[in-house]
Amino acid sequence: MVAQAPARRQVSIGGKRIRVIDLHAHATVAEVDPVVKGTPYEKQAGGRPLGPDRIGLIDKQGIDLQVLSINGFWWWEVTDRALADRIVRAQNDGLAKFVSQYPDRFAAMVSTSLQFPDLAAQQLDEGVKRYGMRAAAIGGHVNGEDLSLAKFDPFWAKAAELGVIVFMHPGGADNIIREGALRGAGDLGNIIGNPLETTYFLTRLIFDGVLDRFPGLRIGAAHAGGYLPSYVMRTEVACDVRNNAKCVNRKRPKEYLRSQVWVDTMVFADEGLRHLVSEMGASQVVYGTDNPLNWPVTVDLVLGATWLNNADKEAILGGNLIKLLRISS
Amino acid sequence: MRNRRDFLKTMAGAAAGACLTGHGLAAQGRRQVTIGGRRVRVIDVHNHWDMPIPASIVKGTKYEEYIKGASFDDRIPTLDKMGIDIAAVSVNDFWWWEIEDRGLARAICAHHNETLASWNKKHPDRIVGMASIPLQFPDLAAQMLEEAVTKYGAKGVTVGGHVNGESLSDPKFDPFWAKAAEMGQLVFMHPNGSGNLLKPGALSGRGGLGNIVGNPLETTVFLSRLIFDGTLDKFPTLKVCGAHGGGYLPSYLGRTEVACGRPGQKCIIKKKPSEYMRTQILADTMVFTEDGLRHLIAEMGVGQVVFGTDIPFGWPVHVDYIVDHKALSDAEKEQILGGNLMKLLRIAS
Repeated sequence: MVAQAPARRQVSIGGKRIRVIDLHAHATVAEVDPVVKGTPYEKQAGGRPLGPDRIGLIDKQGIDLQVLSINGFWWWEVTDRALADRIVRAQNDGLAKFVSQYPDRFAAMVSTSLQFPDLAAQQLDEGVKRYGMRAAAIGGHVNGEDLSLAKFDPFWAKAAELGVIVFMHPGGADNIIREGALRGAGDLGNIIGNPLETTYFLTRLIFDGVLDRFPGLRIGAAHAGGYLPSYVMRTEVACDVRNNAKCVNRKRPKEYLRSQVWVDTMVFADEGLRHLVSEMGASQVVYGTDNPLNWPVTVDLVLGATWLNNADKEAILGGNLIKLLRISS
Repeated sequence: MRNRRDFLKTMAGAAAGACLTGHGLAAQGRRQVTIGGRRVRVIDVHNHWDMPIPASIVKGTKYEEYIKGASFDDRIPTLDKMGIDIAAVSVNDFWWWEIEDRGLARAICAHHNETLASWNKKHPDRIVGMASIPLQFPDLAAQMLEEAVTKYGAKGVTVGGHVNGESLSDPKFDPFWAKAAEMGQLVFMHPNGSGNLLKPGALSGRGGLGNIVGNPLETTVFLSRLIFDGTLDKFPTLKVCGAHGGGYLPSYLGRTEVACGRPGQKCIIKKKPSEYMRTQILADTMVFTEDGLRHLIAEMGVGQVVFGTDIPFGWPVHVDYIVDHKALSDAEKEQILGGNLMKLLRIAS
């Protein structure tokens, strides 16, 4: 028996059909499997490769365009440069192939081998120019190293030059948290570890001067940017109060958030979203779902926000990303 | 072993000139806060004293460095200047929690509690003490809490975020929680840079992140554990106040609130996290901005937010962003500035 595909939800605001674009969607692609076969990374094959079932999911959720990224960043541990390049090429090929089947429903982010910053810059260039990819996907650290280190500047320079948004997704803060420290009830490794890693990542980009060095750089941050936007006040006064802060940033932390950083809507509650928009500005908040993982996300969080006007709702659900990702309307 | 200098580096570090001191303040007089023409009582729950320990207690031990400490003589003028009527003073850092000698740990806490009592005696309408306890010995901690309240007039008790790396939600600490709940004592928790959670040096570098990130992180994990490990269910009358706006937890509550609904979770808690936030958990006002405070109150309820300053450290705290707050009624302002704490600390009006 063939299950009836759920109808596609089409979102309107004030009678006007608007486009919903999701910046936070995970993917794996089967093209990686043959590349890692017989290597120490063979166990990374598989996952939940993209297939037609993803259309059903986004139809049901009212998403018009989903921007896919491959996260986990296990391939950043690969020390063999040639293998690292082959894995990333397979990822980008697989994503591009999937997107080409459904060009009006999916876009993709470039995967890179960021442990080799010069190679990552090349891969980013190729992904954008040859495959038409719209953004780049990164984690919060490279094998424990901060992405604010000067060695990663070639990658940041390329992203800034191309004007593509770099979407950062965390992996439990294992760069800063001791092994096992967040174990136990409440799934704190995810619930706290993820926003913590994002907070730390964004904070380093600000305080170490990366966003000053590359003023054209645009950063996307998963899970509403972690704790940073929602609890920005302590960070905002850090350089005034802490005598060990050695700050080199030229502007106040919040100014970077309101110009160079975009965050997704993953706060799950009206009051959380209200505060997020208040701190960031409606232009810096974009829709994100964490598909295909089962978080309680819905466009209704934005549609039902009585404190947002229709133009801001449209901007958050899709308008901001239409501009950022240069999607023709 | 931690040392005093590390603590001052992690926790203090007020910028030169920004540090609040009482020098020369006497002439400026005492600020008396009024709202809508009515004098209101301002009570500060987050008020530190790096109290020196007499040589007679620590001489010859490895804790001799704590003979040094900060003077408290400028505290009243500082309170005067900032418009604070009553400071609920606590000795934090909790270096004495690593002491294995029960007698020594007891003597240090007894000194804290007696000294706070003597300041309370000198300034009964300005200074109240939060009990100091040796929590590495939970039974002794319970006993000393009782003694501090009944004998020394302590109005609450202060704890750190962990005992030598152990979570305070571990059942071994239940005798302490039971006593605090039974006596109705507010527990004020103050973090110290998440030394229990972080890899060494993980937050070094620019921005002072050991404090800026490390402190709210420790409080977030502490409160999350009390919720998810069932401590707040076991002791439903327990009230715990998290420093610095309760860390990240109230301001970014959405993710914690949905944690138990995720696949594969085996949560034992009886209520939603937000329900504990609105009943048993309190937070101080150290979010520095009107908008941050609006959000904190929206998440916790006006009855759960209390004034805190982090005196004597130089954070940009003052009563004005509460007094002048556009979204709060006069009654709500009065509650936050002092009304809530008058009840919680049993201060006579």
